[in-house]
Amino acid sequence: MSIVLDQVTKRYQGAPVVNDVSLNVAQGEFLVLLGPSGSGKSTLLRSIAGLTEIDHGRVALHGRDVTHVNSRERQVGFVFQHYALFRHMTIGENIEFALRVRKVKSAERRARRKELLKLVALEGMDDRLPAQLSGGQQQRVAVARALAHRPAVLLMDEPFGALDAKIREELRRTIRQIQRELDMTTILVTHDQEEAFALADRIGVMHQGRLLECGKPDDLYTRPATRFVSTFLGAANLLLGYRTPRGVRFSSRPMAGGEVPREVVAILRPEEVELCADELAVKSNFVSHGQVEEVLFGGAVERLRVRMASDGPVPVAPGREGSAGQGSLLEVSRTLPEQRDFPVAVGQRVAVGARSIHVLPTPISSFTAVAADEAAARELRDSPLLMTLGTRMQTRVATRIGRFERAPPGMPAIATGPGCASAAEWHLTHGAVQLLCVPSTASLPNHVVIHTLDAESRRATLAVAASLLRHVAAEAIYLGIQPATSAESERGAHMRDLLDARSAALADHGLDMRTELRPGAVAEELQKELAAYERSMLVLGTSNPDAIQWDWLKSLLEGTPGRPVLIVNSARAEPAADA
Amino acid sequence: MAASWFRQPSILPGFGLTLGFTTFFLSALVLLPLAALVFKTTSLTWSEFLDVVLDERALASYRLSFGAAFIAAAVNAFFGFIVAWSLVRYEFPGRRLVDALIDLPFALPTAVSGIALATVFSPTGWLGVKLQELFGIQVAYTWLGVVVALILIGLPFVVRSVQPALVEAQRDLEEAAETLGASPFTVFRRIILPAVLPALVTGFTMAFARGVGEYGSVVFISGNLPLKTEITPLLIVIKLEQFDYNGAAALGFMMLLVSFLMLFAINLVQSWSRRRHAGPADTGRRVERRARPRTQKVGT
Repeated sequence: MSIVLDQVTKRYQGAPVVNDVSLNVAQGEFLVLLGPSGSGKSTLLRSIAGLTEIDHGRVALHGRDVTHVNSRERQVGFVFQHYALFRHMTIGENIEFALRVRKVKSAERRARRKELLKLVALEGMDDRLPAQLSGGQQQRVAVARALAHRPAVLLMDEPFGALDAKIREELRRTIRQIQRELDMTTILVTHDQEEAFALADRIGVMHQGRLLECGKPDDLYTRPATRFVSTFLGAANLLLGYRTPRGVRFSSRPMAGGEVPREVVAILRPEEVELCADELAVKSNFVSHGQVEEVLFGGAVERLRVRMASDGPVPVAPGREGSAGQGSLLEVSRTLPEQRDFPVAVGQRVAVGARSIHVLPTPISSFTAVAADEAAARELRDSPLLMTLGTRMQTRVATRIGRFERAPPGMPAIATGPGCASAAEWHLTHGAVQLLCVPSTASLPNHVVIHTLDAESRRATLAVAASLLRHVAAEAIYLGIQPATSAESERGAHMRDLLDARSAALADHGLDMRTELRPGAVAEELQKELAAYERSMLVLGTSNPDAIQWDWLKSLLEGTPGRPVLIVNSARAEPAADA
Repeated sequence: MAASWFRQPSILPGFGLTLGFTTFFLSALVLLPLAALVFKTTSLTWSEFLDVVLDERALASYRLSFGAAFIAAAVNAFFGFIVAWSLVRYEFPGRRLVDALIDLPFALPTAVSGIALATVFSPTGWLGVKLQELFGIQVAYTWLGVVVALILIGLPFVVRSVQPALVEAQRDLEEAAETLGASPFTVFRRIILPAVLPALVTGFTMAFARGVGEYGSVVFISGNLPLKTEITPLLIVIKLEQFDYNGAAALGFMMLLVSFLMLFAINLVQSWSRRRHAGPADTGRRVERRARPRTQKVGT
């Protein structure tokens, strides 16, 4: 491995800007770190170069641990967004700078300079000053300069950000060519997905300091694992669906009888939508009827918005829902041949089919605030924690008043305080897969404590915790608790279990967390850990809700100050599978 | 169109008016009095003029005035850079206070600084006593006193001209040099210093020019001994008190001449270095102008 990052964390004024990032980059690989501004991608790149010190974790380049090595001894080439050329030196002097400080002989320097200028196609420019070159040429000089000392890795921080579109494309091609020619391990940071697709062997998507997903461009596009990646890479309709034996069903109509249907989040790409005159003409899977609301001509593709029937699919994202009695909007894009086959106009009624959908493996689909009356339900829905979670996870927060026969689909949320424990017990024994208990004043946590009451619930609990932590900039600790009286050998086995769980969580979900084994009673240890932090939260897993001892959990759920508690019921958790 | 070769188009009107004011003020307040000085000097004969300006006492005063001003400006260039560096690059409690204190020598009447310095450095003043005891150095009433006074007066010039240059100096240049393997000293010598040098030279020049002409703060601490601690401006005042206006004008003319030559030389160095350091704004504009098509095509 050329670059190995292990649990790299960088905090800025207490808040993590890079949060537990682990990443391997192979020799000769071109990795693009993609993310919106402020996602921590530049900070991560700078910490690889040694320009930013990290608070936790390890950085290794070509097998050499460089965590505490300063940047001039790391042998990296770094290209800055604004070129950072030395303006008082000529192009030749700029390129030779790294060799000059290494006291390389002048004949050798001149040969290397010539070679590099040829590589970036700027022969004969040696004696110009940077000010006499265009932006694109200056950036090429910057690349040549960064390569002069034959660095082990090349790091580029938005190198095309300051250039106009045409030069950008040209330079992109040059850089890709040079990278292949030299077999240079490269990491490039950008917020431009088109650039990422054009350059990358692998793309790592960062969001809020976390590396959400990392994979081949086409894999990430067709099979994203998270809501964020599915909407950040290209456009996507995120819909709530129900898994049935005959596939995923989209409908807001309740289903008759039987089990609580398992709610899932499915993405339907605009280009995978099929529009037809009526249901019988749909060749793919029929979704719903709809009405064309907007048609935009965009050259090669036509963009449409189709208003779905009111009993049609429910969008995941809040705000996309139409007003009462109206269906949701669906984004559609069609190619020219499709337009020729079936031209549509605004106001036309159409049948909508889905050629292909992808079900996100995320265990959290939507939230439903459950309360006894409407005011309380609304208050719960608008509580800071639930509101931000809904927005961050781009998911729906519905309300439900009173009790039904079964728990609502997705994740029900109830208020902590008096009566919370019995309500929690009812939900968990009436089909809820997960349950969130929300104190009315709690905001997003920055310290998440994970604990499982039995080994069987571990997998499902970690999956839910990982999904939550992808959207919350918090540090996670997985707490194992054992009676203080247990034997030494038993403790060793328990610790191994914890570490196994940790590496499984890392491999399956990219969730990096600390693990700790504590002697003592479960209730006391959890209370202590939660009380140690102002904004802490508990994720509790169980495979058998009937066996929960509610007396200690009651003091946690109904005491003050309340902490958010997420209970995962793995008895009903499904095995993660893609549709 | 006739004027376009020297007149850049601007959004704001009033070129004629502002240039008029500029010429008027320059003439009335700078050029005219100086011309009068030169004219006054011409009322002396050539040999009389040489007698005055090559007098032993006058020569000693040139040495002191220009020499002390040069040493003081050099000291200021060094320490002023350090002060500016710490103000720009570090956050520390009281930073804003220190920043405000820098301007104090600007605001103070020079006589006040002179008296203050004389009190502290005089053989009975508390710093003067210590220096005498520990190192056997006497500051007041020697050429050293003159240098100390000029350092005080000149410091803000250096700090205030270097500060903006340091703020502007891009951090990524230093980081680039570091990733290329440069040691901190190399980064300073090859990256930071060249970027700040023009500003430093400007600060040095201004501190020097101010030091040559300084009168108020020097006369209290120098002791004004003829041939030893007498500065040229003081000699001019003495001549004036003896109603020797022509002699005073001749000395003034000499100061004017030397100062002008020095400023001119430094300006030459400045403009040469500025040409090498064409700013990023310049390049941007040049590139943009070249890249933009002359005519806009319809429909694109």
